[in-house]
Amino acid sequence: MACVMDGNGRWAAQRSLPRTAGHRAAEAAVIDVIEAAHTAGVEWLSLYAFSTENWRRPAAEVDVLLRLVRRAIRKHALSLHARGIRCRFLGVSDPRIPPPLARDIADLMALTRDNRRMTLTVAFDHGGRRDIVEAARSLIRDGVPPEQVTEESFARHLPHPDMPEVDLVIRTSGEQRISNFMLWQVAYAEWAFPSVLWPDFRAEHFWECLDVYRRRDRRFGGVQVPTATGKGP
Amino acid sequence: MSNATPADIDDGIASADPADPLGPGSMLYELSHQVRWGLVATRAIVLEAAHPQIGAALITNSTFVAHPWRRLRNTVLSAQRMVNPDERVRQREAARLNRLHARITGTDAEGRPFNAADPEARAWVVATLFESTVTMCRLSGESLDSPALDRLYSEFLAYLALTDPDGGKLPPTLREFWPYYDFMIEERLENTEAVHIILDRLFAQVPAPPLLRDSPAAWAAGRALAGPVATAITVASLPERLRARLGLPELPGTRALTHTAYLSTRLATRLLPEAWTRLDTVMTMLDPAYAPPLGGDALGGLRRGAAKAGALLRLLTPAPMEPAADESRLRSASRFFAEVLDQTGNGYLDWPDLAAMAREIATRLDLDTPDEDRLFAAFADWWRELQKELDTDGDGRITGQEYAAATAAMTSSALIRVAEVLFDVTDADGDQTIDAREYRALFHTAFNHTASNHTASNHDTSNHDTGGGDERLTRAEFVRRFLNFMAGRGHSDAYDGLFAQS
Repeated sequence: MACVMDGNGRWAAQRSLPRTAGHRAAEAAVIDVIEAAHTAGVEWLSLYAFSTENWRRPAAEVDVLLRLVRRAIRKHALSLHARGIRCRFLGVSDPRIPPPLARDIADLMALTRDNRRMTLTVAFDHGGRRDIVEAARSLIRDGVPPEQVTEESFARHLPHPDMPEVDLVIRTSGEQRISNFMLWQVAYAEWAFPSVLWPDFRAEHFWECLDVYRRRDRRFGGVQVPTATGKGP
Repeated sequence: MSNATPADIDDGIASADPADPLGPGSMLYELSHQVRWGLVATRAIVLEAAHPQIGAALITNSTFVAHPWRRLRNTVLSAQRMVNPDERVRQREAARLNRLHARITGTDAEGRPFNAADPEARAWVVATLFESTVTMCRLSGESLDSPALDRLYSEFLAYLALTDPDGGKLPPTLREFWPYYDFMIEERLENTEAVHIILDRLFAQVPAPPLLRDSPAAWAAGRALAGPVATAITVASLPERLRARLGLPELPGTRALTHTAYLSTRLATRLLPEAWTRLDTVMTMLDPAYAPPLGGDALGGLRRGAAKAGALLRLLTPAPMEPAADESRLRSASRFFAEVLDQTGNGYLDWPDLAAMAREIATRLDLDTPDEDRLFAAFADWWRELQKELDTDGDGRITGQEYAAATAAMTSSALIRVAEVLFDVTDADGDQTIDAREYRALFHTAFNHTASNHTASNHDTSNHDTGGGDERLTRAEFVRRFLNFMAGRGHSDAYDGLFAQS
């Protein structure tokens, strides 16, 4: 399952605080959701932290965001590792990412690479279209003949090809858009749009969304396909 | 005092060929794979530096002050090759060492000639290693008994004999060794500059190992505490007569400190999981470029384990100040001079600096004689050209100012020749391209995208390998990248790893 963490700026504006205060407050929600997903036995959790479009925000805000991410990585690395969580990043290719942050990201991935209890994928500097374009380039580079390009073979050229399709996406703050998030993987995802802003999102909201998802009848375009279970949301 | 070989050394000895004094099963083999061998090597290098010939060679040619970790890595790998189970590996390494030392000659500050291949000097190097091993055992509270001493000495004799066809200039028996050792301490050793550089500068200024390069503040803080302690421990373990000659007082409490340090290493070797106190583990953790002589799974496992430990350590170390974006990418002419060209760290560019570069390349690629000769010849031509064009005051060396005034001259025809020879010797299979394997042999890293071709290569440690596979470098691209780096025009993690990093 995946979360689009939306509403930090509005959360701050409602309190007459700078937007960056919303990003700071978001950290608690992130940790709460990871903990809740871990407890619920979710094996794959993805969080949309920063899109390729977010670079257009004011430089000062981007700077604060980058620092917050670095601080959060360093603060929580050990506890994530101790919980058996494998951390991976999706995107992370812009040269504007400061080298120390890139180093910490690489370190966090190296540290947790053999963990299997849960895989946490942080989409950072991520764009769903860019991933698809990159996969197409990779296919062409490998000289795959057109007739051999199938959905399966294409998916093998996406980043983290072992990642299963997303079953449920939670987008907070009531906004109902995809925003270029993991376009390939969310093709058949169910979406939940709780109105709560991300900094206020807590484990109980997470459980509610999970509950709604369980009650949905997933048909994958057909009529009688059974509900997907097992590998988990 | 025990009656047999100390258990710490005997532990882990697997199959032993009684006729083989150096391979697995020998005391030397076992010791040279333990972390505490570091104490032996550190003490030995001080004793070596006090030898006038060796001291002069170290001062003028060695990169151990400017690039101590690289030097340590090469020393450890070399020592392990010399005790490799395969006799051919030993012979090859001995021949390489001989060629390397034969190139290190000159005159010291008093005009006395020195030669690193001098048999007497080489015998002294082995003598210091033997005596330092004995001292380590004594200070760790596990003095070697007579049979063990004889055995260890005969192993060191065999070690020396590998590099010297005449068997070396060490006394043939242990009984004769001690008078020789006393004579050397009393009559031959001097209060050399090299000793003081090691004790005063090396420990106090040792740059961060590759593992902690991104945390200079944390490293500096740790070093401020550990540096003086390391100096005190080393000084206190030296023979008293030598200490007096070198003007090194014994500070109160250092004897106890030394005993504690040695004893702790012994206890650590006995009590901690074996892998933790293996030199390979620690070296791989400190320096990802270190490649221990292991195969397949063992190496992969070691690397992964060490990479994790290194990652955790870095994540738990307080975050350093973030440098400004441009600062880390671009290098001023003066920084390039100090970090890349001045390999020996004496403030000048002269032949030993370029020789050190050639030596590093030859060591990494494990070149045979003709290739090594070609490489050194290319570097020598480059040096002659640099001297002719940049050495304006004619003192035989190039200052930072002389270099900065004429940076454009760095892209000379001789440098292009160096690039081409470097390509030839790196292209092991001679197919006129550098593939991933050949690239790794030279740079100890996977294909990496330089500034002109940046992607997420630095960040990507995920499971799927990018940028490996079929990527190849053509001669033109290889030469272009080399020239770009040497002219200070482009940043390159690969060449930084080869020449600049400590």
